Amino acid sequence: MRRMVSMLAVLALLLAVTSGVFAAGAREGAAVDGAANLEASLAVDTSGLLSADGQPLVRVADDDRPVPTRPADPSALPQTDPLHWYDMEWAGWDADKSTIPESPRNGAIGRRIVFIVHGDHPWTTACTLGAQKVADAYNMELRALSPNWDLAVQNQMIDQAINERPDMILLIPLDARTAPQQARRIHQAGIPLILFNTLPDAAAMDYAITWTGPDDFGQFRLLARTFADELRRRHPGASELGIAYVQHAPGGSPYFARSWGPVSELAGYAPEIKTLDMQAPGFEADRTMQLVSDWLTRFGPELKGIIAADDSAQALGIVEALRRAGREDVVVVAAGNSKVGMDLVQEGRLFAITYQTAEGDGALAVQTAADWFNGKDIPMRRNLAQHIITESDVGDFYPPQW
Amino acid sequence: MRRSERHSTTANRRLAWIEKYRIFLLFAVIFVFMSVFAPRFFNVFNLTSILRMVAMNATVAIGFTIVLICAQLDLSIGTVITFAGVIGLSLKEPLGYALAVPIAIAAGAMVGLFNGVLVAKAKISSFIVTLGTLTILQGAIYTITGGNTVSLSTPDAFAVSDFLARPLLPLVTPRILLMLGLVAAFELFLRRTRTGRNFYLVGGNRNTAWLAGINTDRYLIAAFVLSGTLAAIGGVFFAMESSAATLRMGDQSLMYVISATIIGGTAMTGGKGGVFRSFVAVLALEMLYTGVILFGLGNEVKIFIAGLILATVVLYEAYAFYKHQREIGKRPELVRELAVQPAAAGEGGRADP
Amino acid sequence: MATAETKPIDVPDARYLRSNRLSRIVNVAGIYGIAVLFIVAGAILQSLGVINNFMTTRNFLNIIDAVALLGIVAAGMAFVTYSGHYADLSVPTTMALTGIVTVELLHYGFVPAVLAGLAVGLLIGAVNAVVVGRFRANPIIWTLAMSYVTMGVIRLVWVNRQIYPDVQTDNIRTIALFDGIFRLRLFNVISLPVLLMILMMLAGHFVLTHTVYGAQLKLTGSARRTATFSGVNAERVIGIAFLIAAFAAAVGGLIITSLSRVGAWYNGTGYEFRAVTAVVIGGVTLAGGRGTIIGVIGGAFVIGLMNNIMTLIGIGTFSQDMIRGAIFILVVGINAKSLRSLGRDDA
Repeated sequence: MRRMVSMLAVLALLLAVTSGVFAAGAREGAAVDGAANLEASLAVDTSGLLSADGQPLVRVADDDRPVPTRPADPSALPQTDPLHWYDMEWAGWDADKSTIPESPRNGAIGRRIVFIVHGDHPWTTACTLGAQKVADAYNMELRALSPNWDLAVQNQMIDQAINERPDMILLIPLDARTAPQQARRIHQAGIPLILFNTLPDAAAMDYAITWTGPDDFGQFRLLARTFADELRRRHPGASELGIAYVQHAPGGSPYFARSWGPVSELAGYAPEIKTLDMQAPGFEADRTMQLVSDWLTRFGPELKGIIAADDSAQALGIVEALRRAGREDVVVVAAGNSKVGMDLVQEGRLFAITYQTAEGDGALAVQTAADWFNGKDIPMRRNLAQHIITESDVGDFYPPQW
Repeated sequence: MRRSERHSTTANRRLAWIEKYRIFLLFAVIFVFMSVFAPRFFNVFNLTSILRMVAMNATVAIGFTIVLICAQLDLSIGTVITFAGVIGLSLKEPLGYALAVPIAIAAGAMVGLFNGVLVAKAKISSFIVTLGTLTILQGAIYTITGGNTVSLSTPDAFAVSDFLARPLLPLVTPRILLMLGLVAAFELFLRRTRTGRNFYLVGGNRNTAWLAGINTDRYLIAAFVLSGTLAAIGGVFFAMESSAATLRMGDQSLMYVISATIIGGTAMTGGKGGVFRSFVAVLALEMLYTGVILFGLGNEVKIFIAGLILATVVLYEAYAFYKHQREIGKRPELVRELAVQPAAAGEGGRADP
Repeated sequence: MATAETKPIDVPDARYLRSNRLSRIVNVAGIYGIAVLFIVAGAILQSLGVINNFMTTRNFLNIIDAVALLGIVAAGMAFVTYSGHYADLSVPTTMALTGIVTVELLHYGFVPAVLAGLAVGLLIGAVNAVVVGRFRANPIIWTLAMSYVTMGVIRLVWVNRQIYPDVQTDNIRTIALFDGIFRLRLFNVISLPVLLMILMMLAGHFVLTHTVYGAQLKLTGSARRTATFSGVNAERVIGIAFLIAAFAAAVGGLIITSLSRVGAWYNGTGYEFRAVTAVVIGGVTLAGGRGTIIGVIGGAFVIGLMNNIMTLIGIGTFSQDMIRGAIFILVVGINAKSLRSLGRDDA
């Protein structure tokens, strides 16, 4: 016991001595001449940059959907009503940006940016790559941090980012609903913030310059319409078309956007389409395969289509189950454009997938940061351009980004 | 450590000393290395951030250590963390934190009670019981929340969150204070009270403990209840500070806490280890992780180094035990005497000199 | 104190043996009794019109198809559990690494790549065998450490990349062969994974019941000291159990990689606990030395059956988890109780 105490005493002493030697020295931002920087920065053109699939890197939506007015109590509406999901779908359009700092209008070149993502995944690698391309164009210093899907680690990374005093923080919140407190902490530290990819809870938007990324709900409404058109084409005049949903893992907006988005869209667009079941088997091909086999047993020919939240593992499980049952007539659509998903579209086993550029996601965030430094007008939200990939144009998107 | 007393040479004694205090040495090595080399490591801000990081896992590790001392395993701690966080935040609006937090902690205790009763009374292996509880709780968490993260963005929730995160003294926020208090309390409880020491007896040899007049079932149940309670405390306060509880926020804690507890020197065979050691181990691991991030390295390096440390510790312990087993009943001094004479070395050479 | 006298060790007495007929039935019928119970329940639900098409060949083939992968991994894992070493937690990373290495080497041809993949899986098993078998490290902690190290290696070498068979090689035949590991169907009924599962089950059963190794494993699993004193080389016996588990995991890794068409670090996630669940539900106790491989496959089948019935009824994902966990504890609890009242287990 005495040994332990003396040991701790030594440690404490060590701590005191080292603290004397290593004073905390937060680095000051690289000083750049404002006017010259702005001029050079405005001259940078990123429109020529391409992502790995040969598409323009920065793709901003120019056809944003009109924003409806918020109903008094969205949760009182039925789940099949699009406005029930108002707070998730339209978060941030009514945000109070009064406390957001003005742009310094001193150019983007040489700025230090901390880029915090949600976790390690091939998608994230592509996303960071896209961000890096734009950052290189502006000669920005981009430091990417990945918390490995752990909220505590992401919170710590935010703390560390604040401690570094960068010129801006770009953040994919690990979860829509954890975002408000995270955004608030960064805001209180006086560091400009842009949220991207995961659409946060409305409360977070008061603390961020803007949000950029894919409009998950909008994308799935678009996908649902394509899906409904195809179902109608294959079953003309059918009075009832049964479909099922393979959902995203629970615990975030994609879980809702990718199932209730289409449900509420189809309720208006194609009321003859009926939801038979919704299940979340996780992103595992074998479990999804069993689920779909069980659906085929349960619903038989009633099942005409499936909407999936993921175009790789889930889609493969679905396709495999359909193949084994000889039910290739079932129309399958899914989210994302992974290589696996695009291959399946090319083989004609998936009818359609959404084009959700990973590189473009990161690139748009950094581009928006640069625009802010350059004093350009920043909208409340900036969506990625949407597109539905089908067999006819899937070839344009090869080689896949991930 | 009684085993080491059999060794007589100074070299052996020094080795035993290193083994006994290895977690403190590991801590010191990591701390000094990171302070000297990792950029922006040694400053009040970062050290506070590390302590805040460990606040949850260190609290959870207390309970897990007690279960491990009893030679049992609790795989449900990760989901209990989430469960408590979700319950605490969901009940905040109708009841306020003053009621919601105790209810969340009580829920954790109830899960522990369920585990403990099944292990002690129904005599099902704790590995199985807690694996089952894990699955049940995961479903319960989804059902309670309807599949969405629970969060609070009201000013008073933010006020609580800010209070928990704001340092009272340098390095010490209220949540860190709570953790330090719990660690100190349980360390003293386990070392200085008869009840606390009985946990070691139950874990060391259940039958002997029973013969010595200890109600072993009661201690087993108590260990699981403590584990559930402390996991819930860790979870609910973390959720309050984040003002949000995600549905998988505790998932990564299970492996983290197991590794840290083992590295800290608590053995799965039971009857050995301590709460303070686990705390130091959690702290050492976290400093390592933070250092890795500060060096600008990725998660793969983190995982790899954590694996290496854990593997080294397990291998070392296993090898030491293996050597010890081989030397039981042998007479090392005789072997050494014989080894001097080359002619007799044949027989003695087998035992490690 | 008087009643508690037999408590810690549960000495069997004649009263128990005579009275507990139910326990004996549970013990003999094992997991297949539970399977029959589920099937009867399903048939009743079908006759009541709650579910349909349950009692069809197609449906049962589907269930078997779905659990083939789990069955293979569990059959291997069962040897570790049987040897009294709980579980091999390095199974998921073994699966991932096998898949990645195989895909990475596909340009050398199908057979070399698959052999290399299996060899890497066996290598992990060999390390486990030495450390747990010879040095007697705690199996759970060691295999956990092993999985960390393997995962670290995978992610250091391949970063976050997914590796695609058709990117690694242009040889269409090789790609088709690799794709076929999961997709090939013999006589249009039995898929290759199912066939492998059945082979594994038969081989495993044969090894456990008809070979010297099986007898030695049983003795080692039940009482390692006794085994050592009777001349069994326990280190070797346990080591082989870990090699078998690693081999099964490697085969599972090939199958899951073929199914998902990518070699990636996350392939196989969760299979350690899923396999243990099947093993334990199948009647192999964690105390070691008890249970059968046929029971383990039955355990995997019951898990599939359970999922099937719940989806057919239309129970939501969330409630499914709760029911699954509860049934797991219940089945294992009943099994443990029956063993104990028959005086065959002190665990």
